[in-house]
Amino acid sequence: MLTEVLTQVALVVAIMLLVSIPLFIGRERLTRLRTDWQSRLRTSAPAMLILSVVLLFNRVMRQDDPDIGVHMTETIRGLEGEFILIFQQIGSTELTMYFSFIYVYGYTFLLIFPAVAYFALSDTRMFRRLLTSYTLNYAIGLTLYALVIAYGPRNFMPEVETVLYNASPEYQHLTREVNRNTNVFPSLHTSLAATVGLFAYHTRSSYPKWYLVATVLAVSVIISTMYLGLHWATDVVAGLALAAFCVAASDRIVGRWSLSAIYTDLRSLRERRADRSDGADGDP
Amino acid sequence: MSDSVAGRTTTEAAEREASGDDGGGGNGISRRAALASTVGLTTATSGCVRQLRSIVNRDDIDPLSLTITTLPADGDRESIRLAREIAAALEAAGIDTSIEMRSNEEFLRSVLINHDYDVYVGQHPGGTDPDFLYEALHSLYADERGWQNPFGFTNLLVDDLLESQRDVDGEQRREAVTSLLEALTVEQPFVPICTPIEHRLVRDDRFDGWDDGHLATRTGYLGLEPQTDGSGEQLRAVHMDARPSQNLNPINAEYRDRGTIADLLYDSLATDVVDIDGAHELEPWLAEDWVWDEGDDEAETEDQSSLTVELRPDCRFHDGEPLTADDVAFTYRFLADTALGGSATPAPAPRYRGQVAAIDDVEATDDRTLEFTVATGEEVAARALTVPILPEHVWTERAAAASVPGYRVAQGTTDAVVTDNVPPIGSGPFQFGDRTEREHVTLERFEDHFTSRDDVDLPEATVEELRVQIDPRSTSAIQLIEDDSADLTSSTLENYVIADIEETEDVRLLESPSWTFYHLGFNARKAPFGNPRFRQCVAQLIDKSWVVDEVFHGHADPIATPVAGEWVPEELAWDGADPELPFLGSDGDVDVDAARTAFEAAGFRYDGDGNLRVRH
Repeated sequence: MLTEVLTQVALVVAIMLLVSIPLFIGRERLTRLRTDWQSRLRTSAPAMLILSVVLLFNRVMRQDDPDIGVHMTETIRGLEGEFILIFQQIGSTELTMYFSFIYVYGYTFLLIFPAVAYFALSDTRMFRRLLTSYTLNYAIGLTLYALVIAYGPRNFMPEVETVLYNASPEYQHLTREVNRNTNVFPSLHTSLAATVGLFAYHTRSSYPKWYLVATVLAVSVIISTMYLGLHWATDVVAGLALAAFCVAASDRIVGRWSLSAIYTDLRSLRERRADRSDGADGDP
Repeated sequence: MSDSVAGRTTTEAAEREASGDDGGGGNGISRRAALASTVGLTTATSGCVRQLRSIVNRDDIDPLSLTITTLPADGDRESIRLAREIAAALEAAGIDTSIEMRSNEEFLRSVLINHDYDVYVGQHPGGTDPDFLYEALHSLYADERGWQNPFGFTNLLVDDLLESQRDVDGEQRREAVTSLLEALTVEQPFVPICTPIEHRLVRDDRFDGWDDGHLATRTGYLGLEPQTDGSGEQLRAVHMDARPSQNLNPINAEYRDRGTIADLLYDSLATDVVDIDGAHELEPWLAEDWVWDEGDDEAETEDQSSLTVELRPDCRFHDGEPLTADDVAFTYRFLADTALGGSATPAPAPRYRGQVAAIDDVEATDDRTLEFTVATGEEVAARALTVPILPEHVWTERAAAASVPGYRVAQGTTDAVVTDNVPPIGSGPFQFGDRTEREHVTLERFEDHFTSRDDVDLPEATVEELRVQIDPRSTSAIQLIEDDSADLTSSTLENYVIADIEETEDVRLLESPSWTFYHLGFNARKAPFGNPRFRQCVAQLIDKSWVVDEVFHGHADPIATPVAGEWVPEELAWDGADPELPFLGSDGDVDVDAARTAFEAAGFRYDGDGNLRVRH
């Protein structure tokens, strides 16, 4: 059943990308991308490499994170009480379907599309910042998952009708594959969606239409986490704070250490040395 | 008042001194006078301080706050909902209540191993015979780890009743059990809430014979008749609990509930054959037969008798080693002390404690014959024959103390109780094949098993392979059955899905009684849970009929006593309300005044804000 769900997600997200890439990015940028992609890839390689390492680590950690943390479900509940039940008051079958779609498909699309869009910009800085932000989100999120053991609302109030797995049990195969039920604080769905939203705001002059779409999607994803009973409001607030931090931090980090500069330095150094030894050889 | 008295004393003393010393010159207060006044002052002050101390040093009785430990919905949907209803009732009665959720194994570790809880809500494996109460409640086990007395309940009168139902048989035993149950209804060491009705979904097109054995027991999986050519190759079960894919240790407490899958891997001397309607009988299994001989042995005391057990010939473990009477004798010694004498104190196994305690001594007289000296009546002693038989050559080395470098491991923690035991080597009708944690555990038919012999008339494994697929939710488990991707749900379905199940020609819903029960357990080691009056009051805050409707969607029976149906005495049978401790309120809503009156009548106090104040 997992493969079925995965195939379906891959298919739907692929269609969404196929429609949105020409729509938001435009032919001109895509044409330039065809000639420039190699050099852009080269400058972005370090950021991509670090992100892949963190994602790999993420995969291992989420399945078997060391339970070194503190049980916090009751603390979180003490903080916010039954707040998230307000989303139940607006609950309806249509909304549940909408938010379930957003939570699975919308979210995946929301994370992938900006990577493509920013790679299509001639300046790779935004692309590198985005990847760095993703890396930070995962790295900090994982650390918090290990430290804070908490169950989400669906485990406390399983009778709530709009709980994702009550409405669409097939999705649990997907989430079980990537997550454990105590990985609740903070909401990474929220932090990553908000991260994309903040970047969309920064790049609104390049991608005005995407800015609108991203905002709607990000807000929907954030609400869906609570509507579907997966996260407490506290997790969402923590997710928003995490997003703000990661976006700001990426601005400081990206471009601070340039691998290519180091590489050029090293190469010139070696060339100089080679020149000298060439000279030595030339000596009778 | 004390101040005025002290003041007067000081003044009088000073005046007396002053007048007596008048002749000594008028230069103010003399040394003696000053001294005396100081003494007076000190005396007065010390009286004051003493009184002050007795005022200040009276500890206040604090408002009670307690934590209910339970499982999250992923572990047991009914438990968390019950816990929330109980928390609401306790809050209404003025008790500050919080809820802690723990995953299955963590929950059992907190409750059974570490006794680290105030009260808990969960499912007890119970038993088809009421003797499970002996291990659950005997005060001698209050400090042990495991299913033996996790409550820390200690009551000498109850101990006597627990023992006397063990010593007798037949009608006498029934009476003894009734007395015991009556005492427990008063004591409420735990509050029995309800017995679930077990629902499972099966496919009729590939196998027949679902109605023979209860699917919570080993015989439910044996003797099934394949209906098509291919169906004998694999029996496909869906299990909603991932723990069997992580650990297959039959004596581990945290990873076993009733241990059905472990029972397929390990044989026992006798087996409780339970049919789908709950009727059950103890039948010889690995033992060919057993014979009682009472009192003819001189070495035995009056209340001991002996039991001779004859094993079936030529039985082997899955690794090919022969299974002999020595392995059986070893098993009983080992379960009584998994350290085999190597630890400062015995380290009994966390499961089967009551059964093993019924055996005083066991001796292998030859390769196939065993002599048991038993200290109980025949009914209880026969149940001791249901423990899993372990291969001595595998488990001897597990008597060593478990160790983790850099950690101080709790005394009595042997490798045996913590090992995941993969691959398991038993002698049962199925042997271990393969597993992927949280995905599946696959068992293969053990060709050499005695049930497949022509001269043995017992249900045998009729499939090449039993694949237990893990799927954590009822909804998707049902889907697998409907799509013909599975033949049965080996765990019970969650109650909320049952109304929506559509039976077809091939898909059938099986309903069978359970001997497990949901309960609220008290940690009697902590005040005020050691006070039976407090426990009685709490029991009356639970509307058992209402939670059965609300939480269990009617798929459970409210109970006043925790034993299987046939053992419930008439006076403790459910008659629309709890016969002894009826709910204080109606429709799930606690009558706050009545609850308060009950607690006050039990000797507890409320403060002005309506909080229950309890010394703890």
